Amino acid sequence: MEEQLRGLREEALSSLEKVEQNRLLDDWRVQYLGKKSPLTQVSRQMGALAAEDRPVLGGLVNQVRDELQRAFEQAKNQLEERAMEARFAAESVDVTLPGRPRRRGAMHPLTRIIQEIEDVFLGMGFEIAEGPEIETDRYNFEMLNVPKDHPARDMQDTFYLTDELLLRTQTSPMQVRTMERMWPEVPVKVIVPGRVYRRDEDDATHSHAFNQIEGLVVDEGIRMSDLKGTLEAFAKAVFGPHQAVRLRPSFFPFTEPSAEVDVRCIACDGAGCRICKHTGWIEILGAGMVHPKVLDGAGYDSTRYSGFAFGMGPERIAMLKYGIEDIRQLYQNDLRLLRQFSRIL
Amino acid sequence: MRVSYQWLSEYVDLTGISPQELAERLTASGVAVDGIEVRNQGVSGVVVGQVITCEQHPNADRLHVCEVDAGTGELLTIVCGAPNVAAGQKVPTALPGAVLPGGKIGKAKLRGVESYGMLCSAQEIGLETRLLQKEQTEGLYVLPEDAPIGQDIVPLLGLDDVVLELDLTPNRSDCLSMRGLAYEVAAVFGTELRFDEDVRQPQTSAVNQSQPSVAIALETPQCSRYEAQVLEGLSANASPLWMQMRLMAMGVRPINQIVDITNYVMLEWGQPLHAFDLDQVHEQTIVVRQGRPNETLVTLDGEERQLNEDTVVIADVHRAIGIAGVMGGENSEITSQTRRVVLESAAFDATSVRRTGQRLGLRSEAQQRFEKGIDPKAVRGALFRATQLMIELCDGQTVGSYVAAASGQTQPAQHIVFSPSRCNQLLGTSIEEKTMLDIFQRLGFSVEAADGTWDVVVPTRRPDLAIEADLVEEVGRLYGLDSIPSTLPSGATTVGVRNVRQKLVKRTRDILIGTGLTEVFTYTLTHPSQLDDLRIPDASPYRQMIPLQRPMSEERTVLRTHMLPGLAQVAHYNLAHGVAGGEVFEIGRVYWPDSLPLTAQPCERTQWAGLWFGQTEASVGKRARKYDFYDAKGVVEAWLDAMGWTALAEFRPIALSWLHPRRSAEVVLNGERIGTFGELHPFTADKLDIGNSLYAEFDLDLLEKYVSERWRVEKLPRFPASRRDLAVVVAKDLSVQSLLDEAKRISEATSKILESSKVFDVYTGSGIPEGQKSVAVALTYRSDERTLTDEEVSELESAIVQDWTAKFGAQLRSH
Repeated sequence: MEEQLRGLREEALSSLEKVEQNRLLDDWRVQYLGKKSPLTQVSRQMGALAAEDRPVLGGLVNQVRDELQRAFEQAKNQLEERAMEARFAAESVDVTLPGRPRRRGAMHPLTRIIQEIEDVFLGMGFEIAEGPEIETDRYNFEMLNVPKDHPARDMQDTFYLTDELLLRTQTSPMQVRTMERMWPEVPVKVIVPGRVYRRDEDDATHSHAFNQIEGLVVDEGIRMSDLKGTLEAFAKAVFGPHQAVRLRPSFFPFTEPSAEVDVRCIACDGAGCRICKHTGWIEILGAGMVHPKVLDGAGYDSTRYSGFAFGMGPERIAMLKYGIEDIRQLYQNDLRLLRQFSRIL
Repeated sequence: MRVSYQWLSEYVDLTGISPQELAERLTASGVAVDGIEVRNQGVSGVVVGQVITCEQHPNADRLHVCEVDAGTGELLTIVCGAPNVAAGQKVPTALPGAVLPGGKIGKAKLRGVESYGMLCSAQEIGLETRLLQKEQTEGLYVLPEDAPIGQDIVPLLGLDDVVLELDLTPNRSDCLSMRGLAYEVAAVFGTELRFDEDVRQPQTSAVNQSQPSVAIALETPQCSRYEAQVLEGLSANASPLWMQMRLMAMGVRPINQIVDITNYVMLEWGQPLHAFDLDQVHEQTIVVRQGRPNETLVTLDGEERQLNEDTVVIADVHRAIGIAGVMGGENSEITSQTRRVVLESAAFDATSVRRTGQRLGLRSEAQQRFEKGIDPKAVRGALFRATQLMIELCDGQTVGSYVAAASGQTQPAQHIVFSPSRCNQLLGTSIEEKTMLDIFQRLGFSVEAADGTWDVVVPTRRPDLAIEADLVEEVGRLYGLDSIPSTLPSGATTVGVRNVRQKLVKRTRDILIGTGLTEVFTYTLTHPSQLDDLRIPDASPYRQMIPLQRPMSEERTVLRTHMLPGLAQVAHYNLAHGVAGGEVFEIGRVYWPDSLPLTAQPCERTQWAGLWFGQTEASVGKRARKYDFYDAKGVVEAWLDAMGWTALAEFRPIALSWLHPRRSAEVVLNGERIGTFGELHPFTADKLDIGNSLYAEFDLDLLEKYVSERWRVEKLPRFPASRRDLAVVVAKDLSVQSLLDEAKRISEATSKILESSKVFDVYTGSGIPEGQKSVAVALTYRSDERTLTDEEVSELESAIVQDWTAKFGAQLRSH
C-alpha cells in the first residue's frame, strides 16, 4: 500500500507540472484530491487494515494529501500571477508620452512682483490703496511741497492734459489723498501700487509709463529708524533672508530727511558685478520722513505726528530679479517671454 | 556739476584725501559723485618746445622739417605735417619715447628725413577739443609765448588733475561753486578751509575814481539787487593757460580773458556774472526792466529771441542788451575791440529766470544757478573778485567805485529753532548733543544753546535750510544715515487685508490665468486712429479720448477708451514673431471723460479684456485649430462660476461694431450689461491683421457690487434623482436657452420636480432637415420629500415636450 501511495504522489505531481490553464487545474484537483480520487479510495480501505497498521498508513495518506494540496495552491498562484503579467503587458502605456495638457496661463512678471510686495506689506499691517492716474497739479505737486516753478519739477517731466490736470508722475499724491481720507485716525499705514507717466523717451532703462509702489506710515512717534527697519524686513522678505539695506542721503521735496535706499546686489549677492557697478549695492527705493508741510497740509499736526514714506519701481525690481535687460520687454508682451512665467516658484 | 580736484584743493585742505575717498564720503553724506575722470588721457614725455627753424621738406610738399628747442640741450629735428607750423611757435613736443593717447612716439624716418619726436595737436595730447576754439583744433596746439621751454605739459596744462562728476539734487545749489563745495568738504572731513571767507574790496590804482561810471535803474521787483563795476583799459586776449585749463576741466569753453573771468568767478562763487561792452551801452545807463510787447533781442548764440512782459531784461536807455540771468545780447558782446566793460553781478528772481529759460528753451550755467537760488552775500563778493582779476590779469583799471541798486531788504541769515531731543526722536537715534553741536559748527552754522532748545543761524549760502527737519537731515547725513538703527513702528497693531474691489481684481486675474490665459501689460497712451479699425462711429463716446497737451510721439497722443487695439498689437507682434497663437488678457484702465475739453478728473474704469488669436496648441490626439466663440465663452463661464454669478448671468446676442453680428454676446447680470465678447468683425480682424480672433471685455468697477463673500452650501439630496435624456429637432436659429427656460417654467408651474436641465449635444447633418438641428437635453428630476415615481416624471416630461412642440415646433427625435 505504501508503494501504491508513493506511486500516486509521483504521478500527481508530474501531471501537475503540465497543467497550464485554470480550468485544467481544477480537473487535476478533482482527479487527485477529489472524493473519487485514488487517495480518497486508499483512505476508505483503511478500515480493512490491522489496528496497529492504521496510524502509520493514515499518517502517510495525510502527508501525501497535504503535499498535493500545497502543490495545488502553489500552481494556482503561479497561474494567476502569469495571467496578471500577461494582462499588464497588454495594457502598458508609454510613460514618456506627454500627458493631456492642462495649460495654465502666466502672470505678468510686473503683477507678480507687485503682488509679492503687496503681500509683504499686508503682512505688516498695511492696507492697499489705488488712486487716479489722472491727477491734479495740486495733489501731484503742490501738496507735496513742489510749488509751481520749483526746480524740483525738472526731476519729473510731466504730461499735462490741461493746465491743472496731468498724468501723475508718481504715486505720491496718494500720500495726501490717503491722509485726507484717514484723518484724524492713526496709524495710517498704506501702500499704493499704480501706473505713473513721465515724458521720457522709451529706451532700455526708461519708459514713458511705468509702475510705482508708494508706502506711507503716519503715527505719533514714527522714527527714521522705523523706516529703516520696515524696509529691511521688506528686503529680506522679497530678496532673501541675508539682505541688508543701506541709506544714502538724498533729496525729495516731500520728505525731510530724505534718503535713497540700496539693497545688496541681487545679481552678485554683494560681491560686486557689472549690474551694481562693482559696489555690491543697488538702489531700489527713495524714502524719507514725511515733510512737515505735507503732514500739516493733509491735516496731521506735524508737531504731534510724524511719518515715513517710500517709493519703489517694480519694473526695476522685476528686471533685476529675473534678469530682464530692457524695460521695453515688460511692455512688448512677447509670449515666448511671458509664458516662462507660468513657472510660479 | 564737474569739479576739478586740484582747484578744489585750493579752497579746502585735501591732504591725504584721494579723489576716490572724496567721492565716496561725499556720496555717503548726500552729494552724490557719479564718476571720477582722470584728465590725463595717457600723456607722458611731452614738453614745451619752441620751433626755431621751419623748412620745407625736400621730398614732400605737405611736410616741414623743423629744428625744435625742447630744453634737451640740443635742437631736435622733427618732421611736421601740420599746416599751421611756423618758426617761433611754442608747441607741445613729444620727445622720442613719449606716450600719447594714440600710441608711443619714437624716432622715425619720414620721406628720407630722420625725425626725433612729434609736434602735437590738441587732440593728440587728449585735450577736450569740443571746448576749444575751432582754430585751436586745426593743426598744432600753439602754447602761449611765456610757456617755459622744456616744461612737462602734464602739469602745465593741468592734465594731472582729476575731475569729479557731481549729481547734485536740486536743493543743493550751494554746491554749484568751489567755495560752496569747500564748505561741504570741510564739514564732511573736518578739515580746514583755505580761503578768506570775508568779502574783500579790490586793490585799485586809485585813478579815475571821480569819473562818472554807470547809472543803474531798477524798474522791476524781479531783481532784488544789481551791482556793477566799470573797468577800462582792457583787451579781450586769451586767458592765461591755467585759467583756460581750469575752465575746461569744469566743462566750460574758454573764450577771452574778460568772459573767462566772469565764468571763472561764477564757478568759484556760484554767482553768475556778465560783462557788457560799455561803449555799446547807451548813455552809460543800465535799466533792469520787464520786456516790452514785440521786443526782440539777438542773444550771444545768434538767435533772435522774443521778449515779453514776463521776461526780465537788461537794457540801456534805448534797447535790450541782455536777458537777465539767462543770456547776454549780441549787441553788447565783448569783442576784440572792447576796451571798457561794465561788469554785472545781480540777484534775479529764481522763478522769473526759470520761466524765461523754459520759454526760450535755454539752460545756461547762469540760469541753473539763479533758478536754484544764489547766496545774496556773494553778489558783491563775486563782483569784487572779478574786478580784482581783471586788474591783475587784463591790466584793467576801475572807473569809479562799484555801483549798487537794491529793491527791498537783503534777506538776513535764517534763524532756526532746533531741539536735540526732537532730532533724536525723529531719527530714532541717541546722538549726543556735543556731536550735533560739532556737526553744526563744521557746517559753519552758529548755535545759541539754551535749555534744550537751540537757536541755529544758517548762513545765506544754504537757502535749502528753513525748518527744523532740514537741520535734522544735516545731523543725520553727517552723523551717517547708516548708523541709524533698525526698528519697527511701535504703534497700534493693524491688520492688512485686500478690500472687495482688490479681491475681485486679484481673483479675476487668478481665474483667467488658471483657465490658460496669459497676462499682458500694454500702454494706455494711444492714437485716435486706432479706433478706425474697430469701425467706431464718429459720434461714439469711445471717440471722446483725452488728449495730451504736448505728446512726445505721434503714436501716443491720447488716453485709450478701448482695450482691443492694445491687445491686437500684442497678437500682431506675436504672430509676426513665430508664435502660432495664444490667449491673452489685460486688467487695465480706460479713461472716459465727462466732457472734452477736460474740466475735471475723468472716470477711470478698470476692465479685464481678453483676446484669443491664431491657433490652439496641438497635443497628442488633438490637432491645432482656430479659436472659436465657445473658447471665449468657456473662459467667461468659468470666471462667472468662480465669482458665483452663473445663476444671475444671461447671455444675449448683441451688435457691436467691432464684433461679428451673429457671433457675439453680451453678459447681463440682473438686467445690467457687465461685458461683451465674441468673434471679431471680419473687417476689424482684417484691418488689425490678426485673423479670426475672439475678444472679450468686462467692467470690473460695475461688478464690485455683485461680489458676495457670504454663501452657504446646498444640502445634499436625501432622495435619488431620475435622469431622462430627450432629443428634439428644432429650428437652427432657436437658442437652446429658450428650451431650458421653458422646461423650467413648466416645472415651476406644475410639480416643481425638475432639478436641472443641461444640453449635452447639438447635431446637424444627415437625418436632420435643412435649417433644423437636433438638441439633446439631459433633464434631472428630484424631490426632496420622496423618491419620485415614473409616472410623476413622465407627466412633467410630456408636459415639457408638449410645450416645446407648441412654442417652438419641436419634434421629439428619440427617447
